[in-house]
Amino acid sequence: MSADRTGQAVPAAGEMLDGGAAQQALERRYRRLLRCYPPGHREVYREEMLGVLLAAARPGQRAPGARQAANVAACGLAIRARRALSWLGGPWQDALAVVSLITPVLMFILAALTLAAAIRGAVAGHESLRATVPWLSLVLVLGGPAVAMIGWLAVVLLGLTGRRRAAAAIAAIALALAAASLLVGVIQMGGAWSGGLALFLVTAGVGPVFVASLAVSSLTFSAGPQRGLAIVGRRRACLVIAGLSAGLGSSTILLLLSPYVSLAPFPFSLLTVLAIAIAIVLTRGRGTVDRRVSALVATGLLPDLAIIFLPSANVTATLVIQLGSLLFAVLAWAVAIASSGSRRVGRASPAGLRAGPRPTW
Amino acid sequence: MQEPTFLILTALAAGPQHGYGIITDAGRTSGGVTRLQAGTLYMALDRLCSAGLVEPDREEVVDGRLRRYYRLTDEGAALLEAETERRRASAAVAAQRLTARLAARLAGGTA
Repeated sequence: MSADRTGQAVPAAGEMLDGGAAQQALERRYRRLLRCYPPGHREVYREEMLGVLLAAARPGQRAPGARQAANVAACGLAIRARRALSWLGGPWQDALAVVSLITPVLMFILAALTLAAAIRGAVAGHESLRATVPWLSLVLVLGGPAVAMIGWLAVVLLGLTGRRRAAAAIAAIALALAAASLLVGVIQMGGAWSGGLALFLVTAGVGPVFVASLAVSSLTFSAGPQRGLAIVGRRRACLVIAGLSAGLGSSTILLLLSPYVSLAPFPFSLLTVLAIAIAIVLTRGRGTVDRRVSALVATGLLPDLAIIFLPSANVTATLVIQLGSLLFAVLAWAVAIASSGSRRVGRASPAGLRAGPRPTW
Repeated sequence: MQEPTFLILTALAAGPQHGYGIITDAGRTSGGVTRLQAGTLYMALDRLCSAGLVEPDREEVVDGRLRRYYRLTDEGAALLEAETERRRASAAVAAQRLTARLAARLAGGTA
């Protein structure tokens, strides 16, 4: 029993024996409980923690109190979880910072392209626009991209001036609007799932929503665009953004060049996949950060792969790819959240503490 | 800053202390309101050591049990000072408003 408890009543000789047995039983139970901690932590702290736990025990106590036991187990498992996730630390944080630089600019360019194509279509009197879109819808068709463009421009500027949280908030609103408009589009198309045009429109709309989702998660859970720019450099950032916007925006660019182009999907698919491949090659460098940037950005580009299946109007294949990309988008969020957790917690093992029962300082 | 962290840093501000000593000191400081649990204490100590706010001081063996003493680093002291200042400022606002509230009530009572 520790010196802190010497003030308590001295037990009689018989009780002393019982007390010794009780303490041994208690110590055994505490040792078992301390197995909740990872081995590295146990080596450093076990003997010390045992001392504290036993010092806090009542005389004659044989089993840990429920609250004490729950606290020890919970903290041990929390430290285990933290160490298991520590590999998510540095490189993923850097990759997310780069993604938080690239994706808002990409969204701005996509919105600008969409607006330009809508204006071109309206001015040229694109037959599908004129036939199906009354003036109110025309306002929406033009106003939607315009609002999105202003929003993403604000996200880019706020991010580059270090106001990451404000940028993340606006990006979240833009994401919600994009997702809502996509949903409305799907509902309006109703039973037209078999139609190639419907599939094309949905497919073309999904990619940007996923890129916007990446923008929100990376802005929220990383050091932000300023850090991203410091990592990747201005020149490479511009190259990557140009490549990706050419890939994601290829269909819109074609529409812009010629509003009367038939919506036959084959040239789009070829061009999109080619441009995305080039963009990924541009993003892919040697470092671990570059590989992670590619992986994250690829989750936003996956939906465009569905276009490959459009010529055959293969609904099942398209749906499988969309669901798969949804899964990857969720995974990207999980990685972002987990890696920010390890950033906040800091290094895995304390400095200056060594394992072993009796180290000398 | 969370309450356990504040209480641990406050305990160590008085000088190097071992784990059980920190728990008893934290109980006294908080007027018996916060009872630090061993798991919480060592999770916080692990984190504070990693962050360089606290460091191991020395070890003793008492009754066959290992005791490791911890001490506050200069960074730890600076953080505790900033936190204390923050708490003092918010407590001052609270006190000021309570005084104003009491004054208003008294004025209302006499009117």
